[in-house]
Amino acid sequence: MEWLVQLGRRILMLLRQGHFDRDLAEEMRLHRELREQEQVERGFSPKEARYAAQRRFGNDLVLREESRDMWGWKWLETLLQDVRYGLRMLAKNPGFTAVAVITLGLGIGVNTTVFSFVQGFLLRRPPVADPDRVMMLCGTNPKGGWMPDMAPVSAPDFLDWRRQANSYSGMAAASFDSFTLSGSGEAERVPGGQVSANYFQVLGVAPIRGRDFAPGEDQPGHAKVAIIREDLWQQRFGGDPAAIGRTVKVDGQNYTVIGIEPSRFRIWIFPAQLWIPLDFKPEQLGSEGRKNHWLLNVFARLKPGVSRAQAQAELAAIASRLATDHPDSNKGWGANVLTLGKYMADTSNTRPAMTVLMGAVIFVLLIACANLANLLLARNTARQREFGIRAALGAGRLRLARQLLSECVLLSLAGAGMGLAISVLGLRVLRPQLNWNEYACFVAREIYVDKSVLLLTLAISVLAAMVFGTAPALQLSRSGPAAGLKENSRTTSAGRERRRLQNLLVTGELALSLILLVGAGLFVRSFIDDLRNAPGFNPRNTLTASVSLSGATYKDPARQTAFFQNVLRQLATEPEVRSAALTTDLPFEFPGSASFAIEGQPTAAPIELPSAGHFLISPNYFHTAQIPLLEGREFTQSDNASSAPVVIVNEAFVRKYFPKANPLGRHIKINHGGQTGPGSEIVGVAASINEFPGQAAPRPHIFEPLLAQPSDTVKIMVRTRGDPAMVSAALRRAVFAVDKDQAVTNLRTMERVIQDSGQGDDVMAELMGTFAGIALLMAAVGIYGLLAYLVGQRTQEFGVRMALGAGRGEIVRLVLRNAMVWVATGTGIGFLISLALPRLFAASFTGFHVRSGLILIGGPVVVMLVALASCYIPARRATKVDPMVALRCE
Amino acid sequence: MHQDEIPPGTLYLLILKALARGGELHGYEIASWIEQVSNDVLQVEEGSLYPALQRMLVKGWVKAKWGATAGNRRARYYRLTPLGRKQLEVEVSQFERVVQAITRAIETA
Repeated sequence: MEWLVQLGRRILMLLRQGHFDRDLAEEMRLHRELREQEQVERGFSPKEARYAAQRRFGNDLVLREESRDMWGWKWLETLLQDVRYGLRMLAKNPGFTAVAVITLGLGIGVNTTVFSFVQGFLLRRPPVADPDRVMMLCGTNPKGGWMPDMAPVSAPDFLDWRRQANSYSGMAAASFDSFTLSGSGEAERVPGGQVSANYFQVLGVAPIRGRDFAPGEDQPGHAKVAIIREDLWQQRFGGDPAAIGRTVKVDGQNYTVIGIEPSRFRIWIFPAQLWIPLDFKPEQLGSEGRKNHWLLNVFARLKPGVSRAQAQAELAAIASRLATDHPDSNKGWGANVLTLGKYMADTSNTRPAMTVLMGAVIFVLLIACANLANLLLARNTARQREFGIRAALGAGRLRLARQLLSECVLLSLAGAGMGLAISVLGLRVLRPQLNWNEYACFVAREIYVDKSVLLLTLAISVLAAMVFGTAPALQLSRSGPAAGLKENSRTTSAGRERRRLQNLLVTGELALSLILLVGAGLFVRSFIDDLRNAPGFNPRNTLTASVSLSGATYKDPARQTAFFQNVLRQLATEPEVRSAALTTDLPFEFPGSASFAIEGQPTAAPIELPSAGHFLISPNYFHTAQIPLLEGREFTQSDNASSAPVVIVNEAFVRKYFPKANPLGRHIKINHGGQTGPGSEIVGVAASINEFPGQAAPRPHIFEPLLAQPSDTVKIMVRTRGDPAMVSAALRRAVFAVDKDQAVTNLRTMERVIQDSGQGDDVMAELMGTFAGIALLMAAVGIYGLLAYLVGQRTQEFGVRMALGAGRGEIVRLVLRNAMVWVATGTGIGFLISLALPRLFAASFTGFHVRSGLILIGGPVVVMLVALASCYIPARRATKVDPMVALRCE
Repeated sequence: MHQDEIPPGTLYLLILKALARGGELHGYEIASWIEQVSNDVLQVEEGSLYPALQRMLVKGWVKAKWGATAGNRRARYYRLTPLGRKQLEVEVSQFERVVQAITRAIETA
């Protein structure tokens, strides 16, 4: 307690500093005067009396300081003094201060921005209770294919797993899809899932209103109940509490809403705003059902004390038993247990992009640190004499180190502030650009400056500042003040050592920035190539939308056909619509594929048949998309289920399978779901179109008439007269006019479809370009700083040389020769490393194919030029030395 | 007349004792009292009273108040607190222990 009272007294004293000093001075003066008076009374002369009083009292300045120190605030005073001095020093060198602060700010800022993104995309913890205990149970596909270790699970397998496994406190299955929600308000397509009744319990998420599914509600014959998410509840029911108990139509069937889940419950790979119980159909449970490995996502929560490895071992054993018992469906299939977080990270295709970005910003940070180190080393060398003088006047080493340290802290704080500003700004600029799919938009909304990242980058840069900033003080303590005084500008061994370190730093900086420049060049080049690449059709003035028919009535193919025919007819009446067509897949969306055999050519075993991209299209498709028809004709209304089968192929198909012959009139047999159909006659050849941005060579495509094989999910493509965005209302109107319970989704212009298929390539190219620019700029500043410093040191030498008759050109050459050694070394090292980049990127990014020759050569040239330019100014300055001045200044 | 420097560490003891007689004293009075009671044998370096007094203020052993001297001059008067009185006892017993020990050491020939 007493210490608290004492602290209170001490703080009070701190607040009344002015008073304190005056009081003390007055009190001491009184003392001396009283003593003086006493001496006078004893008969001394006034002069003698004064001296005696002063002698007996002591040095009042020292005593006053001692008195103040008694209050224990000395450290604070020193600190304030340091800070004041530091600020003065920084203000006196505004150039140095600005460059150092900007360097630090950029290093910290870009790192924080990018790592905040990575945090948002890759490391986001799923919004479930205790997420590390929630596992995804996956099959492992012996045939390989897309993510073979994370395959979904068939219904019978799931039920067997659930019966036999003991590692989990709960296991739930889910099948995600989108549903048409209607019944109250306009029909809309919402993402949703059929889930086991214990799904929310396993994930540990509770409804904010109403109730969870009850056990057994996922059994056949139960009342149909649904749970919706808060945002859907707000949007569709205006947040009305009475929504619970209301009936909605999900795919045409009545469901009662029983609960609301919170908005923050989003697992982006499984988007869902609506959940209904999962009940299995008999055909899903039989031995045929076991073959359907792509049905369910299985979630489970580990029992307390059970590790992931134990659970994995148990599930693998169960899976291998199932493989033995059901060889025809399960042979070779295993099981894999991984946390939900890892599953999410692994399924996102952002990983390679994020890795490259992280690499790039780490380079930027390294360059920033090297630059900072260089700046501080150069500056502190210039201040060597100052330190020497201060040490000679009695400043302790520790005191000097502390002084330097506080200057560094000031710099770092300013840099951190700038870094924070840059990252906030950076996120603000980038956020709206994250829009290529729903997940990116979602992440963009929730991305924020990550505190731990900010602290980490701050710590790294501050550490660099500390190490290099205080190095001179430590050096001084080794050599003593005299060395500092003696080492004026030239050749002592310490100076040479330091210069070697600086050369090394600049060399490294150049190498790093070259690598970054080449990397960025590759990305920018690839992006520009993608833009230039003609897609093979005209994407302007084209609106697209998706319609998935819902409701029992549309199980009938004839009704599906009738519906879409009516929509097309409605669209034709709209004045703004030039033409309209239907397709199962738009260009730039990966189409499904079908295998086929060519009549008259030797047939292979069904498994080895060639396959091609497969589209079902309506008449007028090529006309609407403006894909040139090279030969033959489009489909017509009479190419339907009852007519002889026909097919259109693209140019790439012809080039591959009919390289010499005329394909028209030939037949191919297309494999539809296991049965090989009758041969279809090729009636047309269309020009090839791309499937993704920057596709090098188009793939073979097969088109069949949608009228012959109706589908319940179809994309509508509308060629408009004017701005396609203005036609979206007309498109909705046309669909609702036919059936108001059907939802229109994914209304996008064709240009947008293409842009979205790039998955943020534009952002990537932009970021990499920015980082490379920053790196190059920093390296240039680094070279400039070092060379300016070296020239400054050799002023006298240059003066002598010029006095002895050296010309300007010779001086410039002398300076540059020196500099070019490390410029060449740095560029050389960077060049060698950057040779590996094209292959590295090609391995990490699908479809990355850039002619890299120009960039690999151009990068070093740019770096050399920038380096030369930044050398030139100091070199010029060297020639401006007046020999007389240079000699006299010694 | 010969004057002795006071033994180190006893300055606090002397100041506390000076104030312990009750009443309030300013710095000059404290110094004068020490010389007077020790028959001018003990002499403080007078200025060092002040850092010591500041430390005692921090510790809460004394309190200070501005007042007027007999000659009507402004002076800071110091007064002992209960805490200071306790501290005096501690210092006295400590000092006596040390003196006894030293005396014993000197007398055992």
